[in-house]
Amino acid sequence: MEFQPGEEKGKDGRKIIKVKKEDLLSTLESLKKKGFNHLSLITGVDRKDYIEVVYHLHSFESNEYVVVKTVTYNSKVPSVTHLWKSADWDEREEYDLMGIEFEGHPDLRRLFLPQNWVGHPLRKDYNMKNVQYINMDEDGEDYATFDPGDGW
Amino acid sequence: MKTGEPGLITTTLEKALEWGRSNSIWPLTFGLACCAIEMMAVQASKVDISRFGSEIFRSSPRQSDLMIVAGTVTKKMAPRVKRLYDEMPYPKYVIAMGVCVIQGGPYVEGYSVVLGVDRVIPVDVYVPGCPPTPEALTYGIMTLQKKIRGENTR
Repeated sequence: MEFQPGEEKGKDGRKIIKVKKEDLLSTLESLKKKGFNHLSLITGVDRKDYIEVVYHLHSFESNEYVVVKTVTYNSKVPSVTHLWKSADWDEREEYDLMGIEFEGHPDLRRLFLPQNWVGHPLRKDYNMKNVQYINMDEDGEDYATFDPGDGW
Repeated sequence: MKTGEPGLITTTLEKALEWGRSNSIWPLTFGLACCAIEMMAVQASKVDISRFGSEIFRSSPRQSDLMIVAGTVTKKMAPRVKRLYDEMPYPKYVIAMGVCVIQGGPYVEGYSVVLGVDRVIPVDVYVPGCPPTPEALTYGIMTLQKKIRGENTR
C-alpha cells in the first residue's frame, strides 16, 4: 500500500493527517500553535519498504486528539524536541527499538536496552536467532553479550 | 482431659527449629508484573497468609526469608534479581510464581525475557498459572512449609 499525503478520519473519529517528511515540522508547528500542546506519544510502524512514524497530539483546551503520520525510507526523521520537551524520551525509545534516527536530537542514546545491543528488536529484519544476553558490570552499568555463560 | 499439670513434649532441636522456621517465613516485597497483584491478594483478608506465619512483607532483602518472584523476569531485571537474592540471609527460599517465571510463558519467543528464573537463582517451589490464583500461591507457601519441615510434599 502506497503512502498518500492527505487527511482522513480514523475509526475512533480522530483526525489523521498524513504528510511528507519535508512538511512534517511545519505541520507540527502549526498544530502546536493551534493549541495541541501535549505530545501524547510517538510510535513507529515497520512496513518493510518504509517506516511509518506516528505522532499523537492532544489539546487540553479543546480536549481533542489529532494523529500525524509520516514516512521515511532511510530511517531518518527530524526531531521535534524543540517543540515538545517530552519528545526526548519518546524519540530515544523509538531509536532504541525501531532504529529511527531523529536528526537534531540532543542526546540520541538507547533508552531501555544496553548501549552495545546489536540491532533494533522491533524491526521486521531483526534476527531472532542471534540471542543476546544482558549482564551488569561492577559499576551497575548494563551490557549486552552473545555469550550465554556471561549473562541471562 | 485438662488436669492443670504442665505437659511435656519431646522433640529434637532440629525439628523445633524447622517448625519455627516454617511458621515464620517473611516474604520480600518483590513484584515484577501482573502476578504481583495476586501476591497482594494473598496478603489481604480473603486468603490471609498471616494465618501461616507469613504476614510481614519485608521491604528489605536483608530481613526476609522468602523471595516470591511474581512476574516476568526480563533480561534487564535478571542481574537485579540475583543481586537481591544474594543480599538475603540464609536460610532463604524462592517461589517461582506464574508461567513466565517458570519457563518464559507467552514471551518464550521474545527477545527480552529470561526463559525461567531458575537460570538465575535456585527455585524451591513452582506455582504455575497465568496468573496463579491467591489460593494456588497459598498452597505453594504451604508446600514450602512442608519442605522446610522435611515432610513429604506429595
